[in-house]
Amino acid sequence: MFKRLFKNAPAWIGGAETPAPVALRIGIPRMFAYYIYPALWETFFKDLGMVPVVSGRSTMQTVRLGAQISETEHCLPNKLFDAHLAELVGQVDRVFVPRVLSTIKDHLSCPKFGPLPDAARAGIARDAVVLSVDIDETKTPLVETLHRLGRLLHTPRDRAAAAAEHGLSAMRAAHARMAAPLGRKGGPRFLLIGHPYVLHDDFLAGPVVQKLARMEAEVHRISFGDEAPAKSHILWSTSNKIFHKINSLAPGEYAGVIQLTVFNCGCDSMLIDTFRRAMKEKGVPYMHLMVDEHLSQSGMDTRIEAFLDSLAWAR
Amino acid sequence: MTQIAIPNIGNYTVALATAVESLGIKPWASTATTPEALKLGTEAAPESVCLPLKAHLGHFIAADRAGVEYALMVNSVGTCRLRYYRHMIEQILKDLGLKIRIFGLGFDGFKPPLVRHFDPGPITFLKPLFHAGEQIRAIDEMETLAWKTRPIELAHGETTRVMNKLLLELSRCRTLAESRAVRRTTASRFATIAVDRSKKPLKVGLVGEVSFLRDKCLNKNIEYLLGDQGIEVKNFFSLGEELRNIARIVLLNKNRGRELLDIADRYLQTTVGGHALDSVAHSIRCAELGYDGMVHLAPCGCMPEVGVRPILKRVSQDKDIPILELSFDEHTCDVGITTRLEAFADVLRERRRKRAAVGVS
Ligand code: SF4
Repeated sequence: MFKRLFKNAPAWIGGAETPAPVALRIGIPRMFAYYIYPALWETFFKDLGMVPVVSGRSTMQTVRLGAQISETEHCLPNKLFDAHLAELVGQVDRVFVPRVLSTIKDHLSCPKFGPLPDAARAGIARDAVVLSVDIDETKTPLVETLHRLGRLLHTPRDRAAAAAEHGLSAMRAAHARMAAPLGRKGGPRFLLIGHPYVLHDDFLAGPVVQKLARMEAEVHRISFGDEAPAKSHILWSTSNKIFHKINSLAPGEYAGVIQLTVFNCGCDSMLIDTFRRAMKEKGVPYMHLMVDEHLSQSGMDTRIEAFLDSLAWAR
Repeated sequence: MTQIAIPNIGNYTVALATAVESLGIKPWASTATTPEALKLGTEAAPESVCLPLKAHLGHFIAADRAGVEYALMVNSVGTCRLRYYRHMIEQILKDLGLKIRIFGLGFDGFKPPLVRHFDPGPITFLKPLFHAGEQIRAIDEMETLAWKTRPIELAHGETTRVMNKLLLELSRCRTLAESRAVRRTTASRFATIAVDRSKKPLKVGLVGEVSFLRDKCLNKNIEYLLGDQGIEVKNFFSLGEELRNIARIVLLNKNRGRELLDIADRYLQTTVGGHALDSVAHSIRCAELGYDGMVHLAPCGCMPEVGVRPILKRVSQDKDIPILELSFDEHTCDVGITTRLEAFADVLRERRRKRAAVGVS
């Protein structure tokens, strides 16, 4: 009981016995919330005088580790998440696993995000201290959630408020950077759609982006930074954002749209069909690529080449 | 007479069929998805969607082939894929050129669209509801007795015979009074089954995704398989309980979810969706109540249920209760499930023996 009380008490309660405060090291897994709210967490924690430590970029190694330690039936990003989390355990004072329930007002996150911090505590991060906060933008604006996070970390109110402001503006800038096209400027324009943590992950999207760039395409990735999408029958935030984007494409805006889905993703499995239909109605060439643990660059290359060839032939 | 296909929710289908029938519509139903329907659904649905969708879809395709014009399905307001079932199923049926029209059951206004469509008037609308309620209660009572009797019956299959007979009688009841009469004989009918009272069967809780808890085709008849192994089960999906919970929410603004959250406490602090919170909370409760083990059933890749599996593993360790995780897809075969259940039963027996030896009760 007392031990628990003291563990959660702010440092100053310890009095003379407490060693000089060292900056708290906060581990941020490079998956999910890291990409959904880009640059926000690093900026926020840094401004609070802490040291954010982001796990490394995803590689084949990360995938292998995920396959070993994660739930067999998890989607690939969740396996990667577990691997990123494992990389941080033991290296930091806290691992940060927010509970992302809703990222757009009146929308829901994938049901996998709800139990994420609990699952971390139960399994991979059982020997670490998990720092978590509920993010539910349907109920609470993000900035207030950040203030709460500041309180959880015992930081003075105005310092947390300033850090939140700074974090949010850094996030807006990051969204803009992430929306910038890759590949050859002025080449045929392609739009990549998918979850933000898929489109910006080195392992999951890297091969596709590189191949398109090598084929002299201008590669655009859907941005999750702009305004809330129109309401539809789709309640999952990312999926509705994508639905909204493809519904509002101007004719000829892109030479083609490529949807990048991930193995065992429940949301994708329900919506691939809807998206394909929408693109067909619009007459925009569309291809769907699924990434799994055994991703082979050559396999991807062949499919992308075939897709681009079919377009050249159509023209 | 107009025909309507109603969803398979295990033995509860009997009650639903009764309700529909008293509206003057002929129900097209079975208490379990048929293997043929499952095959039809699997062929027509995208491969990566979860198995309950394929079962639903197949059921409706089979109904359409049998000349049924309407279908009824539950509208979900949840967080998982179930919410999108109806949309997807309607699209696929349309692509296949099938005419069957789907009505949602509940959750969009007081009068379900089905009732609005057939407009039977308020009395004809309320009566079947009470009747179905009585039948659900009867079914819950029968099931509870069957779970307890099957593992200790002397003549193999006797419990199942009595159960099926009662269900058949119940399905023939036309009035609430008749159904009540059947319900009142339930206990005495089960009491006629010869049992070995000296047996102390192992006790196992079944948790997980609803259609797998209740559809005997999907779950490979797990209650019977475990019963045959001499194991008493408790299935944690009860339609009676769900309805009482809805009533509590509406009338008293009290949700069972909050109670479950209290139980799950430091293991899970959110409801997740589907019945994932139930899975965790009931596993904890059962460990405390001295159950010998749990079986967690889910379709492969089920978003909420797979999401809590790491938590179930931890509960299993901390509370010392074995939890068998079973996942099903269209390739799951009966033999595989039987083998795993037999192995699990061995583990539980061995565990009980060891505990008895060291004096843990
Ligand atoms: S949306 Fe798909 S990829 Fe993302 S966490 Fe959910 S199941 Fe996994």
